[in-house]
Amino acid sequence: MLGLQILIDGFAVSALYGLGAVGFTLIFGVSGVLNLSHGAIMVTAATVAWALAERAGAYGGALGGLASAFLLSFVTYFAVVRPIQRSRSIPSEETEIFVLTGTLLWGIMIQVAIAYLATTSPHTVRPLISGVTVIGGVRTPTNEILTAALCWAAIGALTLLIERTRAGKALLAASVNPRGLTLLGFELERVHLLVWAIYGVLVGVAGVLLGAFLGASSDNVGTLTASAFSIVVLGGLGSVPGSLLAAYCIGYLETLTAYLVSPSLRNIPALILLVAVVWARPQGFLGRR
Amino acid sequence: MGSLLRSRLFWGSLAGLALAAAFPLVGGPYTIGVLIPAFYFAVFAMSWDLLFGFAGEVNFGPTFLIGLGAYGAGIVDARYGLGVPLSVAFGTALAVAGGVALALPALRLSGPYFGLVTLVAVLLLQQMVTVFADVSGGEIGLSLPDVLSIDDATNYYFALGFMALSGAALFALSRSPAGLILQACGQDPVEAQALGFNVAKHKLAAFVVSAFFSGLAGALLVFYYGTASPGTFIDIAVGVQIIIAAVLGGRRTIVGAVLGAVFLVVAGEVLRPLGQMSTFAVSAVALAVILLAPAGFLGTLLFRRGAA
Amino acid sequence: MSKLRLPWAVGAAVMLPLVAQAAEPIRIGVIAENSAISGIAIPNAAQVAADEINAAGGVDGRRIEIVAYDDHNSAADAVRALQRLSSQDKVQAVIASYTSEVALALEPWAGRLKLPTITPGAASDEITKRVHDDYAHLKYMFQGYLASTFLAQSVCDAAKDLIVDGPLHVKTAAIFSEDAAWTGPLDAGYAACLPKIGVTLLDTIRLSPDTTDFTPIFNGLEAKKPDVLITGISHVGVQPTVQWANQQVPIPMFGVASQATSTTFWKDTNGAAEGVVLQNMATESVPTTAKTVPFAQSYIKRYGVSPAYPGYTTYDAVHYIADAIHRAGSDDPEKLVDALQKTDWTGTVGQIRFYGAGDSHTNGMVYGPGTVSGLFVQWQSGKQVAVWPKGVAGDGRLVFPAFVKAAN
Repeated sequence: MLGLQILIDGFAVSALYGLGAVGFTLIFGVSGVLNLSHGAIMVTAATVAWALAERAGAYGGALGGLASAFLLSFVTYFAVVRPIQRSRSIPSEETEIFVLTGTLLWGIMIQVAIAYLATTSPHTVRPLISGVTVIGGVRTPTNEILTAALCWAAIGALTLLIERTRAGKALLAASVNPRGLTLLGFELERVHLLVWAIYGVLVGVAGVLLGAFLGASSDNVGTLTASAFSIVVLGGLGSVPGSLLAAYCIGYLETLTAYLVSPSLRNIPALILLVAVVWARPQGFLGRR
Repeated sequence: MGSLLRSRLFWGSLAGLALAAAFPLVGGPYTIGVLIPAFYFAVFAMSWDLLFGFAGEVNFGPTFLIGLGAYGAGIVDARYGLGVPLSVAFGTALAVAGGVALALPALRLSGPYFGLVTLVAVLLLQQMVTVFADVSGGEIGLSLPDVLSIDDATNYYFALGFMALSGAALFALSRSPAGLILQACGQDPVEAQALGFNVAKHKLAAFVVSAFFSGLAGALLVFYYGTASPGTFIDIAVGVQIIIAAVLGGRRTIVGAVLGAVFLVVAGEVLRPLGQMSTFAVSAVALAVILLAPAGFLGTLLFRRGAA
Repeated sequence: MSKLRLPWAVGAAVMLPLVAQAAEPIRIGVIAENSAISGIAIPNAAQVAADEINAAGGVDGRRIEIVAYDDHNSAADAVRALQRLSSQDKVQAVIASYTSEVALALEPWAGRLKLPTITPGAASDEITKRVHDDYAHLKYMFQGYLASTFLAQSVCDAAKDLIVDGPLHVKTAAIFSEDAAWTGPLDAGYAACLPKIGVTLLDTIRLSPDTTDFTPIFNGLEAKKPDVLITGISHVGVQPTVQWANQQVPIPMFGVASQATSTTFWKDTNGAAEGVVLQNMATESVPTTAKTVPFAQSYIKRYGVSPAYPGYTTYDAVHYIADAIHRAGSDDPEKLVDALQKTDWTGTVGQIRFYGAGDSHTNGMVYGPGTVSGLFVQWQSGKQVAVWPKGVAGDGRLVFPAFVKAAN
């Protein structure tokens, strides 16, 4: 009973972690950008979905949240990331730290704006389905099952896009060898636009689902970014399957700790695992060196 | 040319210090109270710049070292009543020990991996403070029996003097032969290694120096406030402010970090009537500087004058 | 002569407000976290009180000015704000923060700056204990809210009437509280008073305030089968409530839940608050005193939401500070502290007095019948329905959602 409970709860949380991290790793893989405004965009999606749901209903709200994350990810790219990448006065070996600092500042601005407009209190998106389902004696909110299913649907759609479409294959190629791709006549700029668009959708879905499952507040921004960053490094920077694997490792480790040790120690074993793995195998589970 | 720049920087710094030293004659007690923590904050930012600007390592965890110094000093004073000097020495030693413990594994890594390990160190320290709340005071914070001084002027000149000495030491180090090797290690580790320099040893030394000054400043700041709380010394947000201050002031300049730190603290204070939006405004200004003048305050200043 | 009288009287009436304006205003500083539900109620309520006093001619002809700063719930920011209020804005008194950590950090500074400072919402007993232990230095600090020990006592008193002797016949309980300064004495108070009302304590969960997933906690508690969850939460609130409802945890929640004291809580939780029973200082529909409902109505009219709990205590604090300055006849901090200690003011939350230097809760708000005893409400269909004490609650009755076992 307890085992099954851990299995079910860990599954949903991990799926959510995975979805959040996949977009993050994709951008790094394709354009080498670690977007530290990640958590802020996720919380924006959840907050907008909450705010709109009253007038537009649960589905309207969810759509609005998705759209806001989509827009915001483009603003992040055009207003912050691209100017830094193109700046002549920033030496190329320092682009990384400037992108990190720039997106960090941008994330703080979004976070403060959310706190100003919607308070720091967490908001919960109206769940698309209410009620509970009993699985083998474990009372599970139906919304939790839906969350896991939607996460996997989004991940599945992404896999199809990458493996079955021409644009997706270009994306994959860009993450391996961007120069080669330009030689083949692809415009790298368009590949970047595509990856930020995909990122916007993924992070929007993740944000709305997070809002419906656990609730989200502007205070969570830092934790969400740090957790995506950790998962992505653990799985191997730029590797989508690696990120999913890492998300499940961390998700289950946290759930196990919360159930078997103490909920207040929840994060600690995962952090230690992270340090150990990065130390012993810096490229992560499935990363390339 | 190089020496001209250096002397310009030297005279500029001296003039700045003289201005700061004369400031209490015109400034009210409130403005002085704002500047005191800003000076300690400037030492945090300079220590960070040594590690980033010269050793080329992005340390996301300056507050790990600061927190060790602050809590180390605070806990021994609160529990054993060691008094200020001994407690500060203990906190600093703890920060250096923690710095070595962190650097040994972390320096095997580079780029985002190094950054992540330092970030995790902060998160772990923060968790420890919460878990061992009976010793550390937890979220509530730790109240100390001793403070440096209750006199504002004493606190002000002490902080200013401490900042000036730390700045001079860090700056001298960065311009010394060892500092130049360090810079080479940061920019091209492979070549530095090929030239026969022990990259790891130099980076470790940089880490230790950075830990020493961060820990010392953290321990002293604890005795200025008379309290230690995770939100003031350990929280990631504090580390973020330090990084922003260093980048804003001009990386690889050490002295620039002082400008960045004082700017951040003073701007936050001037904009306080904006309420919640003050953080927004400060972040927006910092972002604009990064986008438009990536060399930072001092970098831009020196570059313009140097070119003219 | 008689012809001259009328213009003279008119002249005096015109002159009076001018005199009032000319007199040096009374400045009251406010330090709070503006982006939190409970925090924003502090500056808002202070402004409502100041405008009211000014509209009625001020205090001895002096206007009241509110100077408010946001502390982002950070102790360092709050200390800086207090220094600024003291040396630059030259305020006569300060109303600061609903967070015990912040209030405790301000306490030594209130002493050093000799600035009377009242916290309208921080509950830790440590605040007043420190005043008691170091009276000469710290007597400037006041707790304008019930200390945790008294909050625990009020929860037990209400629980006895409502759920132990009532139709639910609760026999066992588990404490569900956040790990923070104010819950230490609260949990100790619960552990001491629950057995006295015949309730066995099965478990105490102290959760980290940054918890976001409460599923394991609820499942762990449910396995122990307590009849009720006694809450002690302030920095968390929306998330545990929503997850409690979504997971249909069959145990009622009863106790202190600060975020739930504001009407925005219903919208933030999408109605998941249904059935939650909580301690509140006052609520807009219950005339605890004659002042409660008029204040709540003018607050709602101005800000669109009802005041969270520190709203009521802040409104009262502005009034009794003004009263103390009037009685002291001076802005001198020593005289003001003396006058504040002699406060006997009918506020929105009850009759407000402070414990003296001999009591271990020195400068803390007096708890009990005839003074301030709190109020229990339950969220029912979007409204807070008063259920305790009987005298003010009328015929309000507990109604739990269907999934709560106790309801059947």
